[in-house]
Amino acid sequence: MRYALYLGCWIRTELYNVEMSTREVMARLGVELVDVPGFSCCGYPLRSLNMPTMFYLSARNLALAEREGLDLFALCNGCHASISEVKYALDRDPDLVRQVNENLALEGLEYTGRSRVMHLLEILSGDVGVERIRTSLTRGLEGFRFAPHYGCHALRPSVVGRPEDPEDPKILDGLIRALGAEAAYYPERLDCCGSSLGIYDIESALKMAGAKLSSIKGRGFDGMVVVCPFCYKMYDSRQDVIKRVVEDEGIEIPVFYYTQLLGLTMGLDARRLGLHLNQSPVELAIQRMEEMWRG
Amino acid sequence: MGKAASVVVIGGGIAGIQASLDLADRGVRVHLVEKTPSIGGKMALLDKTFPTMDCAICILAPKMIEVYRHPNIELLTLSEVTHVEGGAGDFRVTVAKKPRYVDESKCIGCGVCASKCPVRVPDEAQMGLSTRRAAHLPFPQAVPLIYSIDERNCLYLTKGICRVCERFCEAGAIDFEQKPEERVIDAASIIVATGLDTYDPSPLKEYGYRRFKNVVTALELERMITATGPTEGQLLRPSDGRHPESVAFIQCVGSRSLSEGYPYCSAVCCMHATKEAILVREHIPEARVTIMYTDMRAFGKGFREFVNRARDEYGVEYIRGKPAEIREEPRDSGLSFWYEDTVTGEMLQRRVDLLVLCTALTPSRDNKRLAEILGVELDEHDFFVQPDHMLSPLGTTREGIFVCGYSQGPKDIPDTIAEASGATAMSAEVIRRAMRG
Repeated sequence: MRYALYLGCWIRTELYNVEMSTREVMARLGVELVDVPGFSCCGYPLRSLNMPTMFYLSARNLALAEREGLDLFALCNGCHASISEVKYALDRDPDLVRQVNENLALEGLEYTGRSRVMHLLEILSGDVGVERIRTSLTRGLEGFRFAPHYGCHALRPSVVGRPEDPEDPKILDGLIRALGAEAAYYPERLDCCGSSLGIYDIESALKMAGAKLSSIKGRGFDGMVVVCPFCYKMYDSRQDVIKRVVEDEGIEIPVFYYTQLLGLTMGLDARRLGLHLNQSPVELAIQRMEEMWRG
Repeated sequence: MGKAASVVVIGGGIAGIQASLDLADRGVRVHLVEKTPSIGGKMALLDKTFPTMDCAICILAPKMIEVYRHPNIELLTLSEVTHVEGGAGDFRVTVAKKPRYVDESKCIGCGVCASKCPVRVPDEAQMGLSTRRAAHLPFPQAVPLIYSIDERNCLYLTKGICRVCERFCEAGAIDFEQKPEERVIDAASIIVATGLDTYDPSPLKEYGYRRFKNVVTALELERMITATGPTEGQLLRPSDGRHPESVAFIQCVGSRSLSEGYPYCSAVCCMHATKEAILVREHIPEARVTIMYTDMRAFGKGFREFVNRARDEYGVEYIRGKPAEIREEPRDSGLSFWYEDTVTGEMLQRRVDLLVLCTALTPSRDNKRLAEILGVELDEHDFFVQPDHMLSPLGTTREGIFVCGYSQGPKDIPDTIAEASGATAMSAEVIRRAMRG
């Protein structure tokens, strides 16, 4: 299993723990991540301003992966959605491919559509498989109960091919259970984190996130598990602000990226998984885990 | 009148029953072919009919019995048409009859076989809400009132053991030696009355059907509320067996949909939801009952007045708005949803104890196979195609074969009966021409 690792902008500039934990756990699952030089922005920020440029940028990243003969593993939920959307459009419109390829030819690249766009959930549940994850663990999370949060980009737009069912997703639940923990349904599980609203109306965005965190608090979960950098940033790094906005000082929800939780159960050191960079109160949860593991 | 004066009617629901009786009363020999063990169809599953709130089976049962006793009608249950030759005025229709494993001439309908049968399977006539035995009568008013043994579930027919029904049947009616039979019927004309099936809303995962216990379909609610239903007329929440204090109906689930489901309007759901809403209020007067509709299609005779009555006399609340997603509260299995009231433009949230999905109604799922046998065309949803929708609404693409009821297009019971009588007149005309030579 070899993939071209595509990090996008946010993971490379702010969310180092997402990259750290992913590299650590993938190495132990027999997945080789190849760093392809020259990757650019996925084009998503230009989506509503200049579609052709977004097509060009996503196609360029795919063409770079194609040249290496690799599928593209877009670790960021947002990048994965926009590259998938572009691939969906290109694979149905030869004219668009011709236009894109005219520009790509300037640097000797060509888009043919050979490479697949892979999502973290697809790789873990499909190519790697839950069985292999189970055998890679050195300790389990029995007795812990987590709230799964998929994030909208893993689910929609379903027409372009998303890793999960938009109305009743299950993969992340299964991956959490593979670690020995419980993943439970809660009514707000499909609610948006509010991140995409943040630029226009930060207060409403924080209220949306707060409603979900308050519900999770009230339902006795030990933490929240996410698979999207945007959602992660909202629930983890902004949790302090959210508390003040929704006037619920009792919100103390440890937020884990799935790869971090997986790394912990593989026996990896919390620092190697970047858990010291999480801003939500993960220490308390980790402490309880370690006490349990020490027996 | 000879062989020219006979007609094969396919389907023993209200459409086929009415067509058979009309023809038989004119002196035409009718062979009514029904695939299940009893006639009655979907109407037999209903508690009441709209807009008069008549008891459905009370209207239907006398007609069913009349079919059984009519000297001009031959009732062929557990039977299907498998081959058709010839043309208008001179069809040769092959009918395959599955074994009932009960001798029709000996069974007295006492029910001992069913009470002794050890097999329990989901009861189709109760929408799977309760169980029946492998030896069974589909419902108490079944016609013929003869038990049958379901070969997919009977222990003797699947594993070669048991035969306990045979030991207890005093009439000696159990007959495991019965074999499938086939016969060819001469008929001048064929009337197709295969009716409807209900759409299973589980692919519309946003509504949580089969995921959340207290989300049911309208036909399930109909059974839950009827005296012969699994709870003998007590409306109880599936999750905890308590009376719901609030019930909401969602209209157009899988109908009028441009993605999953069907694009057409199923024609009867605004009215059957109104009927069921009244029934809920009659059963549980303190319950809050809401109908979430797309737009109110109360177009028929007495329909608008019926909706007004539900609203003004029974306090049924009508909201124009469609929930996009149903959520379950794990603590009490209650259901909640956000919706836009499209009259006022407000975004609101609602919590209810029981949620009823008014799902699309589709033509019979067996129409595809039947259309091939008959050599007629279906449209993309499996409704029978008319040669001229305006001038020949009961015709099919083959001369001498007519269609009536839901398999022609979405409609209610009175329209179905009107069409059945219409198809009878069309058939009679084929006979008249055939007899003149």
